[in-house]
Amino acid sequence: MTYSRWIWANLWRNKLRTALTGGAVALAVALVCLLLTMPDGLNAILDSMANNTRISVHNKAGVVYPMPASFTRKVRQIDGVAAAMGQVWFGGAYEEAGKVTFPNFAVEVEHVGAVYPDWPITPEQLADFQRYRDGAIVGRQVMKRYGWKVGDRITLKSTVWPVNLDLRIVGEIASERAPLLWFNQEYLDQALKAQGRKGLGIVGMIWVRAGDPAKVNAIMRTVDEMSRNSDAETASETEKSFFSNFFGSLQGFVTIVLIVTGLVALCIVFIAANTASMGVRERAGEIAVLKAIGFGRRAIFATLLAEALLLAIVAGVAGVLMSLGATGMLRAAAGANPTLGPLGSFIITAPVVANGLFLSLVVGMLAGVVPAWGAARKSVVTALHEVF
Amino acid sequence: MTAGVIALVVIASCLFLGLISSLKRTLVTSGDPRNLVVMRKGSDNDGASQVPLAAHQALKYFDGIARDAEDRPLASPELVVQPFFRTKAGGRENVLVRGVEPVALEVHDAVRIADGRMFNPSAHEAIVGRGVAGRYAGAEIGSELEFGRGAWKVVGIFDAGGSSFESEVWVDVRELGNDAKRVFPYSGVRLRTTSPAAMDALVQRIGNDPRWALEAQPETDYYAKQSESANSLYVLVVGIAVLAGIGAGFGAANTMYAAVQARTAEIGTLRALGFSRRAILTAFQIEAVVLSAIGFLVGAGGAAILSQAVDAWLGGVAFGASTFTTNVVTLRVGAGDLVGALGLACLIGFCGGLGPAWRAARLRPIEALRKA
Repeated sequence: MTYSRWIWANLWRNKLRTALTGGAVALAVALVCLLLTMPDGLNAILDSMANNTRISVHNKAGVVYPMPASFTRKVRQIDGVAAAMGQVWFGGAYEEAGKVTFPNFAVEVEHVGAVYPDWPITPEQLADFQRYRDGAIVGRQVMKRYGWKVGDRITLKSTVWPVNLDLRIVGEIASERAPLLWFNQEYLDQALKAQGRKGLGIVGMIWVRAGDPAKVNAIMRTVDEMSRNSDAETASETEKSFFSNFFGSLQGFVTIVLIVTGLVALCIVFIAANTASMGVRERAGEIAVLKAIGFGRRAIFATLLAEALLLAIVAGVAGVLMSLGATGMLRAAAGANPTLGPLGSFIITAPVVANGLFLSLVVGMLAGVVPAWGAARKSVVTALHEVF
Repeated sequence: MTAGVIALVVIASCLFLGLISSLKRTLVTSGDPRNLVVMRKGSDNDGASQVPLAAHQALKYFDGIARDAEDRPLASPELVVQPFFRTKAGGRENVLVRGVEPVALEVHDAVRIADGRMFNPSAHEAIVGRGVAGRYAGAEIGSELEFGRGAWKVVGIFDAGGSSFESEVWVDVRELGNDAKRVFPYSGVRLRTTSPAAMDALVQRIGNDPRWALEAQPETDYYAKQSESANSLYVLVVGIAVLAGIGAGFGAANTMYAAVQARTAEIGTLRALGFSRRAILTAFQIEAVVLSAIGFLVGAGGAAILSQAVDAWLGGVAFGASTFTTNVVTLRVGAGDLVGALGLACLIGFCGGLGPAWRAARLRPIEALRKA
């Protein structure tokens, strides 16, 4: 009988207990993995979306306060600015009775490619975007949710402007990280004028790309100085800063989630430690006999620890698999809605898996070390005394 | 040991139940069943709507609108903007600022000034909801709150029974219009109706009026629609609670099994003395439930302390509403949540204890004694 066989057999001497412990650990690891996707997803999204040369320029008072459309041209003339694109929130609702289910903006189509060279949009699609006045480019996530394909026609009913627009999808942003829709702002401008109103005349946000990361700060300063004492004073910040502010209000929720995660993790350490010490106590006699026939302390300690670790890791792997299965369901249940923002994506990344497995390792160690240490240290005489 | 595990579960479930019920309070209890929200057709929230001045002037004399003691119609014209506020933690959030006239306090009678006084129109003063006070820099009585293009003096804090009004700041409607340079003076109008029949008639009349493309809906429906966006939070929170509960049940069962095994001799003796199986089953069940109850008490204390700490530290739990403004939920672990957690604790204790107790009762006395 080899050591590994022995450990394995020991694990299964009390099937029920092993199953219960393993179940508890697996559940907890699954839970922790799921919860960890939230803060992790937040950071992952911020990192992947943001680009260190892009700057967001918006009104100092808030994103709902507009700036004059002419300001974009002024920004373009600043030294170091490679490109700038103005956008206006359209607040278009697709089919679902008056609800905005994904962000959609009217943008300056001729500048999209220059401001977002890092986004996966093909040059042909960019060309089409400029050619067709009613063209729209949509993020992959939104395309998938509604089963759209390039070439489809859709209607967006604005919740902000008194217009509905018929759009033709001419391209897809091939990334999960950009769940939005862009269309030509001239199209909106003309739709407003057709109703006898003033045209657009405003811009809600200007995305600027600096030619050189070193010039980003200087550009931001120049923009803000240019607008000083005007009707629309601006506040410029880097793209990452903008989005982390945008999602900043979710931090409180994430904190609660993390507290609970900690509690759950603590729970399973308790449970697993309890089980392991029970197993050792039951086997006190056996261990004493083993030592009496010449097994070293180290061997005893190692086998008991290995047993606890093996159980924890197997359970941990099961937990990670469970969480992978659950994320799909959760994504479907949560739907993509603005409340959860990036928290709703539940993407299990490699670090999350690593964390889950690490947790099960720690549980195994903690649960195994103490009882195993105690058992190994017990003198043979006292242990045998207790048994016979 | 069992009690410890259960205590931890109770802390976690209390926090979550508290979060759920606080969310519910914020979202579902907003709005008054007698009130109507009037907005531009096609707007999904009052932040995206515009209502011309003429429409409000005409609307307020429609039949079916309640009147106050001086026979003025209870129609509250309101302007909503979402400027940036600085949080005390140094972040930046959009907060819903509502420009109102003094009549608003009568139309929204859930809103009460808890501290300080109502603002004076045209004095650049503001009153802030309880959720806003303490979360943002300058949101306290006597301070200057900076948003939009100027600074506003905070003169009062209002309470709204935990509804989403508590995440708002109220100022004079004209001053807000000037500050935000809005073309349209109002975003919407809130009406207090005299009866449900009058309410239906008003909805019809406003919706069919060809002069302005407006629509009216009951305030409760409006807020219920707004709260749909928080469904995913519910799903998530409930899912987590269930998973954690099952895990804790496993743990409790485990410890109880251990207790049974350690006491096989005792059980054998008891059975030999003539105690019935049922008596032993009951004894073990009671033990399990008592352990859970102890765990519950410890956990409830822990949850109370934790929720206070979270509120003090974060200034409430915020989530983005569908209006892109921040809803602040003050985390309160209420009696209902405690009862829920107690139920959960007992359930875990009961289920976790059932198996081991059953096994204990089924032990044959002879075997049990032999093992000893």
